[in-house]
Amino acid sequence: MSHPVELHSLTKTYGERTVVDRVSFHVSRGEIVGFLGPNGAGKTTTLRMIAGYLAPTSGQVTVAGHDVINSPTESASAVGYAPERPALYESFDVLGYLHFVARAKRVRRADTASQLDRVVSACRLEAVARTEVYKLSKGYRQRLGLAQALLGQPEVLLLDEPTSGLDPGQISETREVIRSFGRDQSVLLSTHILPEVTLLCDRIAILHHGRLLAIDSPAGLATAVGRANRVELHVAAGEPSDLMERLLDISGVIRVDVDDRQVPYAVNCAVDSSGNVEAAIARVVARDWDLLGLRRHDPSLEDVFLHYVEGAA
Amino acid sequence: MSGVLAVYGKEIKLYFRSPIAYFVLAVFLLGTGYFFSYNLFVSGLATMRETFQNMGLLAVILLPVVSMRLFATEYSAGTYELLATLPLAPWQVVLGKYLGALTMLVLMALGTVLDLVPLYLFGAPETSTIFSGYLGFLLLGSACLAIGQFCSSLTENQIVAALVTVSLLLGFWFVGHLQSFQTVQFLRELFLYVSFAWHFGEFIEGLARFESLALFVLFAAGALILNVCALEWRR
Repeated sequence: MSHPVELHSLTKTYGERTVVDRVSFHVSRGEIVGFLGPNGAGKTTTLRMIAGYLAPTSGQVTVAGHDVINSPTESASAVGYAPERPALYESFDVLGYLHFVARAKRVRRADTASQLDRVVSACRLEAVARTEVYKLSKGYRQRLGLAQALLGQPEVLLLDEPTSGLDPGQISETREVIRSFGRDQSVLLSTHILPEVTLLCDRIAILHHGRLLAIDSPAGLATAVGRANRVELHVAAGEPSDLMERLLDISGVIRVDVDDRQVPYAVNCAVDSSGNVEAAIARVVARDWDLLGLRRHDPSLEDVFLHYVEGAA
Repeated sequence: MSGVLAVYGKEIKLYFRSPIAYFVLAVFLLGTGYFFSYNLFVSGLATMRETFQNMGLLAVILLPVVSMRLFATEYSAGTYELLATLPLAPWQVVLGKYLGALTMLVLMALGTVLDLVPLYLFGAPETSTIFSGYLGFLLLGSACLAIGQFCSSLTENQIVAALVTVSLLLGFWFVGHLQSFQTVQFLRELFLYVSFAWHFGEFIEGLARFESLALFVLFAAGALILNVCALEWRR
C-alpha cells in the first residue's frame, strides 16, 4: 500500500544550480514529519514540488497515490498547502476568501457552511470573520493561511514555517491544530525552530544544500549521532593519568578529558549511547576516588542538527 | 466547470472591490457618450457608425487596463501560489479569468445601449447594422482581452503588461495602413487580413462576415492557448 506522500529521487535544478538533490522519503498516515534545514536548504522548493507548484527536474512525487505531474488535479485535491507567505486576496473578507477556496476545492455546497465553521473555529478566526484581509495582523494572516489549507479535508497538510510571526499563545494554538490534524492524516512541515520539531514531529528530515542528510525519529537521530553523548563528573583528587586510564578501560567510553588545574577535577567522558555507561563510570571512580558529582548529557536536537549540517559542509 | 465558476466569481468580486472596474467603465462611457453626442447634435449623424468606430479605438486603449492585472498581480502578490496548488487545471484558471474580463466588456457594451434611445427617437437606424456593430465590438474586445491576459501571464509587473498589450493592439489596429506601402500582393493582403480596424469596420458597415468573425475568434483562442502554455511553463 502506498504512503500518502512518497518522494523518489526528487531533483530540482535551475541551470547549473541544484536546489534539491535526489531526495527520497515518505510520510505515513497519522504521521507528522518536520523538515529541518538552514536557509536555502531546499525545504520550500521540496514542499512546492509536492504541492504541485513547481515541476521536478527529475524524480517522482506521489500524493495519495497520484503522480503530481501526471495527475495534478487529483493530487492537489488531496493536499492542503500553506505557503510561508500566506497567499491571500487583500480585498476579500475572511469568510469570502475561505468561501472561494472551498469552491475551488469542490467542497459540496451542503458541506461548505460546516467546513467553514470548523476551520474558522480551529484557527480562532471568529473575531475577524467579516474583516477584510488587508486589515488583519500578521498572526491572523498566518492563521487564515492555515485555515484555507485545512478546507476540503485534505489527506496531506504541507506547511511552510506555519508558526512564523505568531505570538507564543498563537504558536501553542497552531501547534494543537497541527497535532490534532496529524493524528489521522499526514503532515509535512518545514521550520527553523528546533523545539517545534521536537514538540510536534514523529520524524525529522534534515535537509542541507538540497540533500537529505537524515530522516528518523528525534530519538533515532540522537542515537545515530550517539558519539556526541557525554558524561561529566567531578572527582575530589588523585592521579589524573590513572583516572584517565581506568575510565578508558570502561566499555562505551570513547574519550576522556581531565581538567586538573583545580580541585575538584572536572572530567569529561565522550561515550556512546549503548548501555548504562554512566553507572559503570560511577562504580569504577567511586572505588578509588571521591566522586563528588556525575551527570549525563544527551545530545540536544541542536547538537544533532549541527552534527549533520557541519558534517556535510 | 465548477473550478471555472469559482475563479470567475473571485474575479468579478476583485473587479468591483478595486477602483479599476469603475474607472474603466466611467472613462469608456464618458468617451463614447461624448462622441455619440458630438456626432448626433453637432455633425447631425443619427447613426451608430461613427460611435462604433470610436468605441473600437477606446476599447483597444482601455481593455489593457482591464487585462493587465489578471496574472501579473497574482504573481506579485504571491496569490498565484494558491491558485496553482488548488485542484484547478491551468485551463480552468485561464477560462475563469477570461470570463470575468468578458463580463467587464459586456458591461461596457451595455452601458452604450442608452445611446440608442435618442437614435430611435430622432432617426431611423438600421437595427441589423446596430446588431452587427455590437457583435463586432464584442468580438474585437474578446480578442483584445485574450491578448492582454496572455501578456499579463508573462510578467509580474502590471504596467509592463498593459504597455505591451497596448503596443500589440495598436499594432493590430493600424497594421492595415501598411498595405499602402507594399507592392507585394501577398503582404498587402496579409496586412489587411490581420487588421483589427478593417475587420471591425466590416461589422460596423453591417457586414458580419464569417472571415472577420473567424479572425477575432482565432486570435482570442490562440492567445488563451498560449496563456495556458505560459502557466504550464512557469512550473
